[in-house]
Amino acid sequence: MNPWLHASLYAVVVVTVLMTCTAWATWIERKFAGRVQSRLGPTRVGFVGLLQPIADALKLLQKEDIVPAAADRILFNLAPPLTVALALATAAVIPFSPGLLASDLDVGVLYVLAVSGLMVFPVWIGAWASNNKYALLGAMRAVAQAISYEVPLLLATTIPILLADTMSVSGIVEYQRDHGWFIGRPFGIGLAAFAIFFVASMAENNRIPFDTPEAESELVSGPTTEYTGMKFGLFYMAEYVHSIVVAALGAALFFGGWDGPGAPGLHWMVLKTVVLWTITLGLRWTLLRFRTDQMMNLCWRFLVPASLVVLMAAALWVHLVEGA
Amino acid sequence: MIEQIAFGLVAAVLIYSALRVVSDGNLVHTVLWLGVLLATTAAAYVLLGAPFLATIQLILYTGGALTLMLFGVMLTGRHAGVTVPNDSRPGGGALILAAGMFGVLAAAIMGTKGLPASPYVPVSTRALGASFLTEHLLAFEVLSILLLVAMVGAIVIARKSDPAPAAEDAPAANAGPVHAVAPPAPAPTHASNEVAS
Repeated sequence: MNPWLHASLYAVVVVTVLMTCTAWATWIERKFAGRVQSRLGPTRVGFVGLLQPIADALKLLQKEDIVPAAADRILFNLAPPLTVALALATAAVIPFSPGLLASDLDVGVLYVLAVSGLMVFPVWIGAWASNNKYALLGAMRAVAQAISYEVPLLLATTIPILLADTMSVSGIVEYQRDHGWFIGRPFGIGLAAFAIFFVASMAENNRIPFDTPEAESELVSGPTTEYTGMKFGLFYMAEYVHSIVVAALGAALFFGGWDGPGAPGLHWMVLKTVVLWTITLGLRWTLLRFRTDQMMNLCWRFLVPASLVVLMAAALWVHLVEGA
Repeated sequence: MIEQIAFGLVAAVLIYSALRVVSDGNLVHTVLWLGVLLATTAAAYVLLGAPFLATIQLILYTGGALTLMLFGVMLTGRHAGVTVPNDSRPGGGALILAAGMFGVLAAAIMGTKGLPASPYVPVSTRALGASFLTEHLLAFEVLSILLLVAMVGAIVIARKSDPAPAAEDAPAANAGPVHAVAPPAPAPTHASNEVAS
């Protein structure tokens, strides 16, 4: 098939699937949070609240759409769709089963990181365009956080690239199928790399305990303070899509992606993604928020040096053990 | 055919955003147009068959340099207002200079013999990496040192004076009473700490 046609059709499918998953991911999260806090979560709409996401979407669509008088209208309206577009664009190179991806880029891993690194701009643009001090403070924190955690995130993803000798996500998964998953091989190095990747990606995604940009107890709602209705919903949606894509990337880079016995690849990939995503939920609803300075310390004083050490260890392993 | 249309689109966006960068009166808009310009440059790299360079362009320039510019804009303006004036008029001299530069570059390109017929010469990332560590090792290392020097220099300029020992942790330790005027350290307040605290 023509690659352009394939990519376009696949984009339609993956956007539809991801958007649907996102809707019910909010249901899972609300149920999960409810149980953590000894509540039931949504129960009213449909069986065990399963129709709650639809009710939420309808509610958001009905809300009044307010643009602040002093806002920069064009940028204010541009930011929400842009952030969703960037979040969805990262899904293009994630292989959900052999050959099931939009385009097997040679630089797939870097592409995901580059595009998700840009996701901070719509947030900043929206906050600046709102002309609100809480929004702007939140956005400055978001930018500082994203640009800091980008460093350990990039260094940690370099390790699977180094071990598999390729930057294509499919290539890394195939290498793991033949040689064992990177989470356990080489012993310790892969696990350390995954730990750094996991923490840094949670921070980049502004999930609790790294949600200082949003920090509702100090900044109202951070960058999204002035947003109402579906525009606010789009920011929320982008965050969910990004968290799912990052979980899928983690599954592909460290847990062998679609590799697994018995069941078809898609099942394994979805299972691994859901498990990883649920672990982030568990952390999110049981940990407290870091202070901004603690967060910066964690990044620059621990994660960056640690990722450099692990990268050197991986390089030595490849050179001395595999090269010999 | 698709490639020519794509190149035309990319070139149009590039030129338009470049014009907006120099003509827009709002400093924040200027920086954002620069972001469009840098991201579109990445698209141009993809069309030229250099996807690695494109992603690096996105990570370093659009993701990195532009963020720093936004910080610059935010921290230098006393009031984070909507309009930060950025008047680049009169532009007559600049126009002549730009036209002259275009002429020189065009003449140089047209005068060069033996250019490859097609711009599409795929170079693998592996070959690129190998050439950095063999053929271009000296340039690579010199550049690294240059960046290091720039970084150290920036820190030295930003610090102004030596902070008192443990000055960094002091605000957190004194969380009780609010020190509105006198910080515990004798050193002047650092502009760079404002965001963090």
